[in-house]
Amino acid sequence: MLEFKSVSPYTLGVELELQVINPHTQDLTRGGPDLLRALEKVAHPGEIKPEITESMIELNSSPHARHDSLLEELHAMRDAVVHTAGSLNLAIAGGGTHPFHRWHERRIFPTERFQQLSSLYGYLAKQFTVFGQHIHVACESGDDAVYLTHQLSRYIPHFIALSAASPFSQGQDTSFETSRLHAVSAFPLSGHMPPVSTWAGFEEFFAKMLGYGIIGSIKDFYWDIRPKPEFGTVEVRICDTPLEVDTAAALAAFVQALAFWLLVERPYPADRVEEGLYLVYGYNRFQATRFGFDATLVDPRSQQSLVLRDDLLATLERLQPFADILGSRTPLARLAAMAGSGANGSAWLRARHEESGALEDVVRHSAHCWAGGV
Amino acid sequence: MDGNISFAFLPALPPALGPAALFGSLLLAGLFGGELARRLKLPRLLGWLLAGLLLGQAGPWLPPGWSLHPLLGETRLFFDVAVGLILFDLGRRLDLTWFKRDRSLLAAALLESALAFAAMAGVLCLFGFTRVEAGLAAAIGLSTSPAVVLLVAREFRAEGQVTERTLALVAINTLLAFLTATTLLSVAHAENAAPWHKTLLHPLYLLLGSVLLGSLAARLVLWGARLLGKGPESKFSQFILLAGMLLAAVGLAHAFQLSVFLALLVFGLACRQWDSRYALLNVDLGGAAQLFYIVLFVLTGASLPLAAVLAAGLPVLAYLAARSLGKAAGVMLTAPFSRITWRQHAWLSLALLPMSGVAIALVHDLTSLYPQFGERLGNLVLAAVVLLEFLGPLAVQAAFKGAGESRPEGDEHA
Repeated sequence: MLEFKSVSPYTLGVELELQVINPHTQDLTRGGPDLLRALEKVAHPGEIKPEITESMIELNSSPHARHDSLLEELHAMRDAVVHTAGSLNLAIAGGGTHPFHRWHERRIFPTERFQQLSSLYGYLAKQFTVFGQHIHVACESGDDAVYLTHQLSRYIPHFIALSAASPFSQGQDTSFETSRLHAVSAFPLSGHMPPVSTWAGFEEFFAKMLGYGIIGSIKDFYWDIRPKPEFGTVEVRICDTPLEVDTAAALAAFVQALAFWLLVERPYPADRVEEGLYLVYGYNRFQATRFGFDATLVDPRSQQSLVLRDDLLATLERLQPFADILGSRTPLARLAAMAGSGANGSAWLRARHEESGALEDVVRHSAHCWAGGV
Repeated sequence: MDGNISFAFLPALPPALGPAALFGSLLLAGLFGGELARRLKLPRLLGWLLAGLLLGQAGPWLPPGWSLHPLLGETRLFFDVAVGLILFDLGRRLDLTWFKRDRSLLAAALLESALAFAAMAGVLCLFGFTRVEAGLAAAIGLSTSPAVVLLVAREFRAEGQVTERTLALVAINTLLAFLTATTLLSVAHAENAAPWHKTLLHPLYLLLGSVLLGSLAARLVLWGARLLGKGPESKFSQFILLAGMLLAAVGLAHAFQLSVFLALLVFGLACRQWDSRYALLNVDLGGAAQLFYIVLFVLTGASLPLAAVLAAGLPVLAYLAARSLGKAAGVMLTAPFSRITWRQHAWLSLALLPMSGVAIALVHDLTSLYPQFGERLGNLVLAAVVLLEFLGPLAVQAAFKGAGESRPEGDEHA
């Protein structure tokens, strides 16, 4: 019924939602439609698409077997977008939220799907002007995808801490490492996949939800991780869009290495879903959004408390042999260095704010960083 | 006790209306007009204009001694402050490096001005005006009204390429209008066998003096902004700095008999281009400026010389057609080289239609210096202003709406 497309396992793809900024005010602006139209005439790899409000665009990479070719493509896409935006007097930035835009000033992108979402969700739709990175990693079968979805949930806090780039929201420092995830949590179908352990089980769940009329397609689940049967992938949707593409590609390499390790070694049972995984899930997720690398996590298996930074460094260490095979030693070293020094996007944005005191400057620096300067 | 009661504490009747009462009455008149326009889904500034127009024509029905006209002379200051604020804002929004990043925009800016100038001057020569007269009228016609474009964009919260490009082109054509008009003024001096110091020195003084004043004001504001810093507590201080310097610049331009408009446009442009350290916050002059804008349009309405339209006759229509076609041709010719669509270029051409009320001031200045240019040329330009004061705002409103860039108030969930 829900056919899971079989593709070459461990291939990678990313989606990056980006901010479209007016360089005069440094506020978000409805430049999305003009920019997309202009990009139709510019040669670039991948795809560039609209998102729910007109101040957003989304870059979609093609599938890649390795990190280095993904990074190369992301660089090419970034350059095309930044250059074209410049000719329209627009700036582009990464980061999970715009620091001071006011959500009610956003305008819904005039496509049928986005208009429907807006009429269904009311103000939530405009508040969904937040910017995330989605990472796809391919699996051989639906059963593998279900297994991987559950096992990756253990690492959701790690991805939150590494990608966090949204400390400011609506003009204020939120005290959170990422404030973007609060916009996601408001949706009724957010959260995580139910504890099914096979693809058949998932299909049964899916059929019920269809039958209730609660969903129309898999797209209606706003889970942190979800299987994407039409692509043959598992999609990790927890990350803030990083401030530059190199971190975005490194995060994708991390997902790939984790998937490789989990599916090759099968270190945890596949015939059932360990209850602990989701008992600690909400707590660990909150800790990471609030405290980043300094979060205190509970390990669902040992029931011990541990510091996120230590567990992340240990995980990256464990993945070394797999990273060697996949050719992603460099990106994982980059993430380890970030964890070691606490240097995620939120720390960088807060430092820029500390320097000048004006959130306009934070946006300006952020756009400069995205364009390839730091 | 003295039986005579003295009423000397009472004012002479009718009481004289001072500037405060005048400013207040103009605002209230604007309020009524604006509300009416809003209900009709028209730009508010049309309502302000209309209110002014009625006030201006109401003279015969007012109590004796209450005529608006003697007071209009006192209002030049309000007018200058309002237009000064608008030109500053226009200049401050324009990042000149955009012309480097999109050469087609630079081409559009130069072409639309050049073609409109050539077309207007050519048509007027055909109607028997001298070359200098035709050139002066064409120079004045170059400028698209910054006030109309900015206020309509703000009222309808227009955002997008048509809006941004219109504002960029308006800044350039306004600048070119000043430069051309001032240069032609010196030619006019020469043709009237004025002494050399008048021919050369006066225009030079006007141009260089105004540019210098604007530049100095910008330097001072940027220096002050650096001292004040940028924290949340500095926002108010920076607002006062800017408001203070703006009013001072208008006053100084007056005192030194320079061009308020050129000085303030340069002030804004310099604030943007020279702020390499981004010291100046994006302070919104907001409500305070809005009051001056209302008064600006009520006054413009009150001083609109309706009679000029009839007096000007056919040439004015030819002049306007030439202006519109020249501008549209300039913009459309660059469409194939641009990153925006043909349709967007068409809306952009339409948005350039409004003619500047500043032209009224320029004509007054000109005719007071050279009465011989007088009536015929003055009537022509004024008639064009009268017609476009009403058509212009509608054109801009239609252009931003047609381009899908505006969003009226209350339309929160669109």
